[in-house]
Amino acid sequence: MALLNSILYDTVYHSAPIILCVIGGIFAYKANVLNIALEGMMLNGAFVSVLVMYFTGNIFLALSSAILTTLIWGLIFSYFGVSGSGNVIVIGLGINFIVPAIAKFTLNMMGVSNISLQNISVSDFKIHIPIIDSIDIVGSILSGHTFITYLAFIGIIIMSVIMYQTKFGIYVRVVGENEEAAISLGLKTKLYKYLAILLGALCAGLAGINLSLERMCMYTNDMTAGRGFIAIAAIYCGGGKPLESSLYAILFGISRALAVNLSINAGPMAGIFDTIPYIIMVSVLATVSYMKFKNVRVRGYTF
Amino acid sequence: MRKLRFVSAAMAMMMVAGTLVGCSGGNESQKSGSGGKNLKVAIICSAAGQNDNGYNQTAIEGAKKAEKDFGIEYKVVEPTTGVPKALESLADDGYQIIFNLEYDFEALINGTGGADAIAKMYPDTTFICMNDNPNKDSEGKQIHDNVISVLFDVHESSFVAGALTTLVNENAKELFGDTEYKFTSPENGGRSVGFIGGTNSNGITVFSYGYIEGINYEAEKFGVNYDYYSKYDAGFADSATGSTVAGTYYNQGANVVFAVAGAVGDGVASKAKEEGKLAIQVDANKDAQQPGYILTSVMKNTDVPVYEIIKASIEGKLDSMDRVQTYSLASGATSITDLAEISKHVQDSGKEKWEEIKAEVKDVESKIADGTIKVTNAQNGEEFDQSKCPNVKIK
Repeated sequence: MALLNSILYDTVYHSAPIILCVIGGIFAYKANVLNIALEGMMLNGAFVSVLVMYFTGNIFLALSSAILTTLIWGLIFSYFGVSGSGNVIVIGLGINFIVPAIAKFTLNMMGVSNISLQNISVSDFKIHIPIIDSIDIVGSILSGHTFITYLAFIGIIIMSVIMYQTKFGIYVRVVGENEEAAISLGLKTKLYKYLAILLGALCAGLAGINLSLERMCMYTNDMTAGRGFIAIAAIYCGGGKPLESSLYAILFGISRALAVNLSINAGPMAGIFDTIPYIIMVSVLATVSYMKFKNVRVRGYTF
Repeated sequence: MRKLRFVSAAMAMMMVAGTLVGCSGGNESQKSGSGGKNLKVAIICSAAGQNDNGYNQTAIEGAKKAEKDFGIEYKVVEPTTGVPKALESLADDGYQIIFNLEYDFEALINGTGGADAIAKMYPDTTFICMNDNPNKDSEGKQIHDNVISVLFDVHESSFVAGALTTLVNENAKELFGDTEYKFTSPENGGRSVGFIGGTNSNGITVFSYGYIEGINYEAEKFGVNYDYYSKYDAGFADSATGSTVAGTYYNQGANVVFAVAGAVGDGVASKAKEEGKLAIQVDANKDAQQPGYILTSVMKNTDVPVYEIIKASIEGKLDSMDRVQTYSLASGATSITDLAEISKHVQDSGKEKWEEIKAEVKDVESKIADGTIKVTNAQNGEEFDQSKCPNVKIK
């Protein structure tokens, strides 16, 4: 039972930052400007929050500066990608390279190998819900997590509502599906693209804060470790739908939790669980595109 | 078509950028000594960089000490354009001794891309390879005369760390009390230890095997059995996952987790603080990173070989030195820390016991030094024999 509890707890733990990236990234995906810079933006959130916390000790300053700087990266991405009509893949890669480089440079200047916060403790951020906390299974899913972790899961619902129930969501999707039609209707398509990217940046920044400040009170180099790209894969698999894409994010969380927890019994072999989501995603993407193009004929020829 | 043009333009830009970086030649800093023997020494840092508080920084300190003592000139290079290029340009600049701290020896020993081996191109330069002995062909014969390989006997210091782990674990409550720490008592599954490695290679398992044997050595004396949890694929960057893996081990009852996995180890140490238990760090003295929650660190003191080799060169003994230099526990180039940081957290009532433990650790160290205790060295290709460790159960 203890094992099941900790698997469930870790699932929530490992899913949260990926879910945040997913629910933020789907808007850019739907607006047809795929935000490949999620990884760099998340790392920026992780780095700036811990850095500011380290120097000022003020949690609100740390959070706001992390979010603000991540939004600036979002603006840079949108300016070059939307206003400048640049190649979003190249711009995104640029951000993914420069953010870790800035962080490493700063650590180098400070003469340290990581930033570790001594005056706050990880347990300060954990929210234990009374009564629920003591219930088996339910307790480990619902209680003892950090604020942004809860926000991530609530965010799935919020983003679904924004995507399907608001004018903004509809316009973003219209811009992505048929930009010329949107322009002919008088929509400011660039504005919607900007907003979609900035929403993604906001969520990626939160994911970064969740990863570094909230959970470990520490920043280490390259600590996002590919989570932003995993989120992009999840977005593709879920076709940009908030709930479906998030489920793929949770799939990664489950596999990671299994790999971590089963190593107690299975030893190093448990690492095999880490490969499962990749196998599933490749299969899903291959099947989806096979189904899509199965009966498509171009000038009489099948693909 | 439009997309294709974008891609080709991007690639062209990357190439231009690549050559520009190539010209700049890397981030270099230079310090020159006052005359002396006119010996020029260069240190090529590994990816962690010269301010890593450990591996690289210690090597530079060795060079600084040599600068003070012998008046040599030294240069520190962080190879932004690759180790082979740095090796060549340094040798071209007339550096007589070049230490390569990065794990990249192919171009030096065998030559890449049809070029001659760098060691062959610069016969008057002595190249030092750290942590491995690449200077041998498939039959094990030495290839170049001007390459010295430096190996650290980290299995011996890991053994000491293992012995210390058991000693502390058996007496945890007495030593540290239970106000700040939340140790699992030995009766409730507290007799277990975790190990987290970055990758499954000899360079990592050498720590693990030495550690297991160390745990077993003291466990046999106490007549108790230990469980050993291990993970060898934690990588070196994902500190968040490292921290959850450690969390699993701590929840399972382990009181000490040993991490040999770069930044992942920092995540483990942060988890130790959260759980009120202990972690063991690696490569440098990182005890003060999470004060009180890092039991000790298994160190590679790169300053010792750097200083020794420069000294040999000054004394004209460089050519007669063995081409494979092994620095054992006794040489001081590898050891656990002096335990100063953790000593501050031992409660008054446990002080006496703590002194006993430290004495026992000293005893283990001297027994390793005089050969009474023989530790498996995976780096030499020695196989680990589970049957010799009956008191540790590897899960």
